[in-house]
Amino acid sequence: MSILRIEGIGGGYGSVTVLRDITLTLETGENLGLFGPNGHGKTTLLRMTSGLMRPSSGTIQFDGRDITGASPSKIVTSGLVHTQQGNTLFGDMGVAETLEMAAFTKRARAGATARLEKVYALFPRLAERRKQKTRTLSGGERQMLSIGSALMCAPRLLVLDEPTLGLSPRLKEELTEALIEISNSVPLMVVEQDVELLLAVTDRQVLVEHGEIVREITATNTPDHAEIVAMYFGAQA
Amino acid sequence: METLLATFVSGLVLAALYALMASGLSLIWTTIGVFNFAHGALMMVGAFVAWTVSEVGGFGLWPGLIAGVATTTVLGVIIEYLLIRPFYGQRNMVLITVMTTLAAMIILEKSAQIIWGARLKQLPRMIEGDISISGAVISAHEALIVVLAPLILIALWQFTNRTPVGRSLRAVGQNQEAAALLGINVPLTFALAFGLGAALAGLTGVLLGGIRFITPSLGSEPLIKAMIVVIFGGLGSLGATVGAALVIGMAEAFLVLTLGLYWTPFAIFLGLIAVLVLRPNGLFGRS
Ligand SMILES: Nc1ncnc2c1ncn2[C@@H]1O[C@H](COP(=O)(O)OP(=O)(O)OP(=O)(O)O)[C@@H](O)[C@H]1O
Ligand SMILES: [Mg+2]
Repeated sequence: MSILRIEGIGGGYGSVTVLRDITLTLETGENLGLFGPNGHGKTTLLRMTSGLMRPSSGTIQFDGRDITGASPSKIVTSGLVHTQQGNTLFGDMGVAETLEMAAFTKRARAGATARLEKVYALFPRLAERRKQKTRTLSGGERQMLSIGSALMCAPRLLVLDEPTLGLSPRLKEELTEALIEISNSVPLMVVEQDVELLLAVTDRQVLVEHGEIVREITATNTPDHAEIVAMYFGAQA
Repeated sequence: METLLATFVSGLVLAALYALMASGLSLIWTTIGVFNFAHGALMMVGAFVAWTVSEVGGFGLWPGLIAGVATTTVLGVIIEYLLIRPFYGQRNMVLITVMTTLAAMIILEKSAQIIWGARLKQLPRMIEGDISISGAVISAHEALIVVLAPLILIALWQFTNRTPVGRSLRAVGQNQEAAALLGINVPLTFALAFGLGAALAGLTGVLLGGIRFITPSLGSEPLIKAMIVVIFGGLGSLGATVGAALVIGMAEAFLVLTLGLYWTPFAIFLGLIAVLVLRPNGLFGRS
């Protein structure tokens, strides 16, 4: 049984085609990683998955139901939760207020208190800054708040776009630990430039290039570091 | 001494009315990013509908108030749907909606002219009688406005800061995509904000209709004052809007006393320009 099935997705911005014919499935119980050079369509793919953009072709099924072209709020309600790359969230709201509000859908409101405690346990820095306004948070703290908010939505699949973008190595490690812990209860689909993180958190990785999936890495065909670097720079692997 | 007190009290009444009007305008501005030029016309419609139900229909003032507010709420949602919604996401949406809400203002004012005519009308006061505070006399109706306005504004603050739906209005105003990704229905939130802002306009109109004569242009002069208040306050928080309403209301009352009715608007605009030169984000805005 697959939780997410993306079939033949294509599209872009106006007349600019970014994605061509992407097909991906996420089986129940596995975590998927996506990587690839800048500007090759990873974020665009996630935006189409969460309903922020409409694909011009192809279909997306979540948990057996067709969600192609559905509104973001419908998709969140069904349990697919997307945290955006570099999300600035709500600048004038405090940390606690943001987390409380994030449990917005009916499904998320049930058990919100317990989930809030879990988020604070996962990210103690957030617990120390309950009243602080989001606009004054550091990049790392904002990233934690972004992931924390997503957890408040009671995700059944969590889609993360570059969760460690611009973070120091130490913070990256902290966040990697947190993601591993999250993945024990929620399946993840992660876009990340840091392949080490992807290898630590996800079971299977795909390389997105020119709006296509050009390579897949599984436990049985793990390439070495040099090969992955070569993939990034477009050399023959 | 008595004149000063009387002027202070009339400044309070003005401040209360401006704060109510401006809060509706700024609710729509902060949620949708639209400056609603039809706000004054909605006030006028609220007053006329209340007058029709109360005086022509003979149902009394309170049913009139409810009918007036209900009508402007529905009109607000319709304006949002027909004149704002088609332009979401366009680069020059702010300019386009200046034109479309101005069009709504003209349509509402002309329709009122046709429906209700040009003859002056007035609503009865909510409460009869006068109140004397150590020599300064105001009508009980005006006293009610001064008491009611803070209560409504506190309720509005509680709504937008303490309830999930109210918070979702602020969330949409600050980051539409992030709000949508929490499951908030953004188009519905826009309609809600516009309806709520229009309801506040209708309520203010009914209150105003007990003080001034109701004409199709009842709202145009107050709208300009409310715009000054919103800009003066720095286009944002409710607290700043209330502070700005107090400053403008008091300034107006005391300027009328010292400079006279004729020069007061001039002095107020001069003050606004001076504030914007010195503090481009408004008197209470964040820099
Ligand atoms: N709103 C937009 N309008 C037009 N083009 C866009 C828009 N957003 C992205 N693009 C273009 O679409 C292409 C793919 O962008 P996308 O953000 O999906 O890349 P990405 O793989 O996520 O890159 P990165 O690793 O840098 O985040 C890029 O060429 C980008 O310039
Ligand atoms: Mg990206």
